[in-house]
Amino acid sequence: MFKYILAESGNINWMALFALLTFFIMFVLTIWVVFKKSPEHIREMEQLPLSDSFTPKNEPKK
Amino acid sequence: MTTTEKFSYDNTIVRNFAYATMLWGVVGMLVGLYAAFQLILPSWNLSFAPTTFGRIRPLHTNAAIFAFVGNGIFMGVYYSLQRLLKARMYSDFLSKFHFWGWQAIIIAAAITLPLGITSSHEYAELEWPIDLAIAVIWIVFGINMMGTILKRREQHLYVAIWFYIATWITVTVLHVGNNLELPVHLWKSYPVFAGVQDALVQWWYGHNAVAFFLTTPYLGLMYYFLPKAANRPVYSYRLSIIHFWALIFIYIWAGPHHLLYTSLPDWAQSLGTVFSLMLIAPSWGGMLNGLLTLRGVWDKVRQEPILKFMVVAVTAYGMSTFEGPMLSIKSVNAISHFTDWTIGHVHIGTLGWNGFLTFGILYWLLPKIFSTPLYSTKLANIHFWVGTMGILFYAIPLYWAGWTQSLMWKQFTPDGFLQYGNFLETVTQILPMYTLRAVGGTLYFAGVLIMVYNLRKTVSAGNLLADEETEAPVRVTDYKSHGKEHWHRWIERRPVQMLMGSAVVILIGGLVEIFPMIMVDSNVPRIASVQPYTPLELEGRDIYIREGCLGCHSQMIRPFRSETERYGAYSKSGEFIYDRPFLWGSKRTGPDLHRVGRKYPDSWHYNHMYDPQSMSPGSIMPPYPWLIDDELNTKYTAAKIKTLVTLGTPYESSIIEDPLASLNQQAKEIADNLRKDGLVQANLEKKEIIALIAYLQRLGTDIQPIPVSSNNTN
Repeated sequence: MFKYILAESGNINWMALFALLTFFIMFVLTIWVVFKKSPEHIREMEQLPLSDSFTPKNEPKK
Repeated sequence: MTTTEKFSYDNTIVRNFAYATMLWGVVGMLVGLYAAFQLILPSWNLSFAPTTFGRIRPLHTNAAIFAFVGNGIFMGVYYSLQRLLKARMYSDFLSKFHFWGWQAIIIAAAITLPLGITSSHEYAELEWPIDLAIAVIWIVFGINMMGTILKRREQHLYVAIWFYIATWITVTVLHVGNNLELPVHLWKSYPVFAGVQDALVQWWYGHNAVAFFLTTPYLGLMYYFLPKAANRPVYSYRLSIIHFWALIFIYIWAGPHHLLYTSLPDWAQSLGTVFSLMLIAPSWGGMLNGLLTLRGVWDKVRQEPILKFMVVAVTAYGMSTFEGPMLSIKSVNAISHFTDWTIGHVHIGTLGWNGFLTFGILYWLLPKIFSTPLYSTKLANIHFWVGTMGILFYAIPLYWAGWTQSLMWKQFTPDGFLQYGNFLETVTQILPMYTLRAVGGTLYFAGVLIMVYNLRKTVSAGNLLADEETEAPVRVTDYKSHGKEHWHRWIERRPVQMLMGSAVVILIGGLVEIFPMIMVDSNVPRIASVQPYTPLELEGRDIYIREGCLGCHSQMIRPFRSETERYGAYSKSGEFIYDRPFLWGSKRTGPDLHRVGRKYPDSWHYNHMYDPQSMSPGSIMPPYPWLIDDELNTKYTAAKIKTLVTLGTPYESSIIEDPLASLNQQAKEIADNLRKDGLVQANLEKKEIIALIAYLQRLGTDIQPIPVSSNNTN
């Protein structure tokens, strides 16, 4: 089976290659960006839905 | 010291959208239930045009998607957006305008669809004046949302808001792209694209209506309301970012999986398959992120109906986003497509994911804004179990029906003949499954009625906090980052750039697929013998569109032996170049009609449309007696021809100048044929049925030469 796949491997439409490459680049970039974010910022963001109103930073959140 | 500002959240608009969600939920599901019963009790069509299945089905889908889910989206967005941004909505007037405008559009749809005013593009059936109204109201919503974002007090935009922004921009692009049409008159238009191109644009839209109306806004709601209901932060905020960008990038490419094995070029089908398979990754990332948010509080899920609804909703999201990619594999799609499997699949999404998340949010939100506890947790639990049983009774029989029917279609005898050559056999076989589906729908609907009662009692015991007072620090508008920062933190503070970024990401997929299709001529090979429809056939085609025939009949014979044996030569893309709109359909409750032309005498069609059971005993097709009685309206025939000429259909000058001469001549020939077969009716030439017969007899015949011995096939 693989020899048939390999035989056709040079005949891939540029659309498919473009699609795969753009997705790959996009995915790698997103992963890189996400893991470079500071843990403090992530903690701050994930708490946003839980505080409907203002809670001063020096007071514990409910 | 931090300077704080006092302000209030607008809960009135949230309440209004919540009420509309419940109202249209009841209406949309009731219409769906009615359609489900029509499939097992054809007499329920009432021999009345506005209540016939073909017109009721789009009413149900539009009501469920845009009225029930649409109002649910706005309810959740108006509640969460204000709180995540620490700001009241930008304009109370725009909020009200949005609300009443959206309800007016729904009412316009509820009037026009039963009247047969439809573009026939699935989930985009509404005609051009309503399309324009949708565009206006959608822009009003966008201005109100972006205005709120710009005047916010919170520096960063939570991930739910990214989903809202991406939804807004993508739905805008999809709505415009799929509704490029040229009006003939106030309630009739023809699409700019024809045939294969129209099909690709439609399913680029159709798939992404699911993606960006039923999915991304609800993911935004999940990322807000699930942590709220569980009182815990989302499991992984990092994962939610990956979920967002990967999902919106991939989703937009997947539309062609609705057109596998059709006349769409192979490369476009392959792209659709590959990207659909890739969709599992972000979808399941999101599902797991939702479920894992409940880590440590699963004991609460046992007692709390709101969390139960949300858990089943997220699980249904996981199930349907696993099933979707599987159905996009060509060999699986060869079995599943055109069957009830697709209907079962889509209802796992709508009943489970959209419905249950909406119910969870309603149970959580209405007691909050009415400042009172839920009237009855017990009733909510009953609703949960009745609804869950409803989903199972709905989906499982349809999976079974889909497999059964498809395998029957493909079954050959040892001698090489179709085992079930009569299509009707494959329908009557699955009627018990349709009955079970109607039971499932009834259960689900009963659950919704219980919810409405429960929430009605809840709100009557409380008082609306119309303007909920709160306070928040003023946002520092000249915000300076502390040293080096990432572009993503930068973009999180900039909604307009986020909007543009989302637009670029979703446009890449759309443009790569559609532009070459439109620009490259070789994608649609021409066939010399394919000619435009005659004026009478065109009128007949518009009746076919008006009656919603494509809800049950495809016009796309796939290149399988089981299909070419049953229907005739497989469909070629060049055969559809004058089809505005394309009418390939997506479901075969009845047989494919692409090669029905010249298969039966004219009188067979006449009798069949008048009383389908007289020609096909046991058929579940509704009767269409009004086609026999009503006279064909030829007032707009000339305008229709002119519009099509403008769009590039090469009509001869004699047809353009006097289309009615051709129309009357052809009508007389068909009426004479009917009279020869003993049908007597006054003014037979003038009736709508004549136009429909002309169209049906033309279908698929352009590539089949007429036998020399006669000029008709009767």
